Amino acid sequence: MPRPGAVIEVDRNTPPVLFHFGEGVRLEKLPLGARIVYPPDPLEPIAHPERAIKRALAKPLEDDPLKSLLRRGMKLTIAFDDLSLPLPPMAAPDVRQLVMEEVIDMAAEAGVEDIHLIAALGLHRRMTEDEIRHIVGERIFSTFWPDRLYQHDGEDPELNVYVGKTAEGEEVTLHRRAAESDLVVYVNLTLVPMDGGHKSMSTGLASYRGIRAHHNAKTLLASRSYMNPPDSALHHSCIRQGQLIEDTVRVFHIETTVNNHAFPAIANFMQKRETDWSARDQAMFLAMKQMTDLAPPAFKRSVFHAMRAPYGMTSVQAGQVDAVHDKTMEAVRNQLSVRVEGQTDIVTMGVPYLGPYNVNSPMNPILVICMGVGYMFNFYRNKPVLRKGGVLILTHPCRCEFDAVQHPSYIDYYDEVLSDTRDPIEIEKKYEQRFAEDPWFRQLYRKSHAYHGIHPHYAWIWAAHGIDHAGDIIIVGGDREVVHHLGFKAATTLEDAFEMAEQTVGRYPSVTHMRMPPIMLADVE
Amino acid sequence: MTWYSGEGGLSGLVRTVGRITNDVTRVRRAWHWDTPRPHTWPEQGAVVPAPASDLGWARQEPVRSIRYLIQRGLLLPFTEAMAHPRVEGREWVRELERPVIFAANHSSHADTSLILHALTDRARDRTVVAAAADYWFKRPLLGNIVSLFLNTFPFSRTGGAQAQLHSSSQLLKSGWNLVLFPEGSRSPDGRIHEFKPGVGHLARETGTPVVPMHIRGGYQIMPKGQKLPLPGPVRVRIGKPMSLEPKEGSREFTVRVEKAVRALAKEPRQPEIQGSWIERWNASKPRVLRYED
Repeated sequence: MPRPGAVIEVDRNTPPVLFHFGEGVRLEKLPLGARIVYPPDPLEPIAHPERAIKRALAKPLEDDPLKSLLRRGMKLTIAFDDLSLPLPPMAAPDVRQLVMEEVIDMAAEAGVEDIHLIAALGLHRRMTEDEIRHIVGERIFSTFWPDRLYQHDGEDPELNVYVGKTAEGEEVTLHRRAAESDLVVYVNLTLVPMDGGHKSMSTGLASYRGIRAHHNAKTLLASRSYMNPPDSALHHSCIRQGQLIEDTVRVFHIETTVNNHAFPAIANFMQKRETDWSARDQAMFLAMKQMTDLAPPAFKRSVFHAMRAPYGMTSVQAGQVDAVHDKTMEAVRNQLSVRVEGQTDIVTMGVPYLGPYNVNSPMNPILVICMGVGYMFNFYRNKPVLRKGGVLILTHPCRCEFDAVQHPSYIDYYDEVLSDTRDPIEIEKKYEQRFAEDPWFRQLYRKSHAYHGIHPHYAWIWAAHGIDHAGDIIIVGGDREVVHHLGFKAATTLEDAFEMAEQTVGRYPSVTHMRMPPIMLADVE
Repeated sequence: MTWYSGEGGLSGLVRTVGRITNDVTRVRRAWHWDTPRPHTWPEQGAVVPAPASDLGWARQEPVRSIRYLIQRGLLLPFTEAMAHPRVEGREWVRELERPVIFAANHSSHADTSLILHALTDRARDRTVVAAAADYWFKRPLLGNIVSLFLNTFPFSRTGGAQAQLHSSSQLLKSGWNLVLFPEGSRSPDGRIHEFKPGVGHLARETGTPVVPMHIRGGYQIMPKGQKLPLPGPVRVRIGKPMSLEPKEGSREFTVRVEKAVRALAKEPRQPEIQGSWIERWNASKPRVLRYED
């Protein structure tokens, strides 16, 4: 039986704790009395995923078996999540591949000639052929690429159709092929509570016109947090859009969850609590620390980005979207939830090398904030671990490096927009339209491997709630100039950061370290 | 006693060298190496020609293992680096239950490596390449080296249907796949030229299916007359195996194969040549391993 998550109080015997530090690691000694929150150990994966998938398709929740929905002469579309999850990318075979192979087997048996597979990437970057091959597997790739397996393009006026408006006035658009299909099968992989459900279709197959309805500062500021859908304005909006889509097109949802076994054997020490480190783990830590201290960033990046996570599938469910998503959320919470008592003055977190938007590229400063203050801060239910006005301390080198292929609009956003203002509402008024409609960014999104022009704004507003909530944000080890440009404080060491924090939260503050990744969801009482 | 047995020592070694020298001297004198050939002797050659070698050694162990290493370590990485070939339709050659003839257009010396690159390890290991006897095997050393690398065998372009059929059908019957370029020679301009009827004859005589293949980009890498390859993108498209219809003649079948190769050159995919997605999906089904109790 895997251990649940735990909150450990630091005493004199507590070993120093691991902090992720971009493409590196650090060991830090926390003050006596500080709390360390550890994620639960990985749940046991399903022993025979293929059998579980077959069973889920044969006995779906509140829907007919998939086999009975497939018939000769129909138009079938399979949409699937892109490479932004899971993180790190899953060791082959990806669960999406296993699910899609079962679905395609059934379609072949039923004689469905007209079948298309679409990577539902919303406004994310187009994946490379190798990245798609990794997700779908060689068999699907060689059979369908490129004419029947392709990627969604949210900027093609011919490919996106306007579906209508929700009761709240949110516009809904959908990929034309999906809208004109007799059946859409959506294959999802849910890693965190934010994923899946109605959000899959309403974001993954939508254009900017549809996505802007909920990807805006007002909605994000009202989402407490977006990792807890019942309290998330973002999800309420996605649900309204999704319901309209369900009225337009027949959708069969398949959702899968994986455990939090995020690191391969070579980095197993990152998966373990420090008190569990064996001699081998200590040696591996030392080796990795020396390597990351000495090696140039590009080399470190290639080593880290080559890591594949040995995730194991913990559940698969199919059928009607709401029924499916409820079960998915239950499975996700089983894996991620940790009970944490009360809030704290200071929260520390190590920001890792990888977030959803920098697979195979460096994590630029905007993405560091998106990851640390956006995603990691928001891993809570009920209320944040950090009290209102408390200090959030992150560790990351926060270098001024951008990938010109994947993040061209981020460069302009960092240089121009953040030099002018950091207020999400003001940015939206002054700059949103310019970035969203820039013809060069649009071209790069459609034809190259670049994120959409508006994407840096979404990454920035993802942190809006965290920035608004925290009294101060300090980045330890970050490039001073870059951190100041982002509007935060830089510290050289963790001790310095605690000193600086005392100016905001007073002497003898309570400290909590969130030891992730592996990810967890703090259930704050 | 041999000189290396350790028993004779230096004197034994001298004796052995002396014996060899004597033998060589005898042959040199007897066959007039350095004096004119006696006029009473018949003209050289044309008396008892050596039987044409089919390079059987190249298809036996340990040469096959050596070739596997050469191809894996040298040829395929080089092909990948030069052409980064995109292969479509690999499912048709993944699980070949019986030998087939690969019929491809031919515009470059790189075509053979590109075809071998497109095959799976299993299929590649059981594939021989028909190489023009009058071109590749004019110089035996070159022919043997090429055989070691690519598993070629001499294919006569001038000896008529029977000569072609003999060695090729033997190979097909003994379980080898055969790569054939039915145009007979490299295209001088990159376009597909008329197919010669050999492929139809072979398929008819041996009942072997033909897998049409089309290579796009080979001509840009190494056109006829160019000595060194240049890098460039290549697409190899593999069609579904074609068999003779019951009353179809070999010439009609050759025409059909030629049409299929030409159709593979077209965009988009050609379902009737490449197979519908259901056919391709079923063709790529992983083998179910069965274990005996």
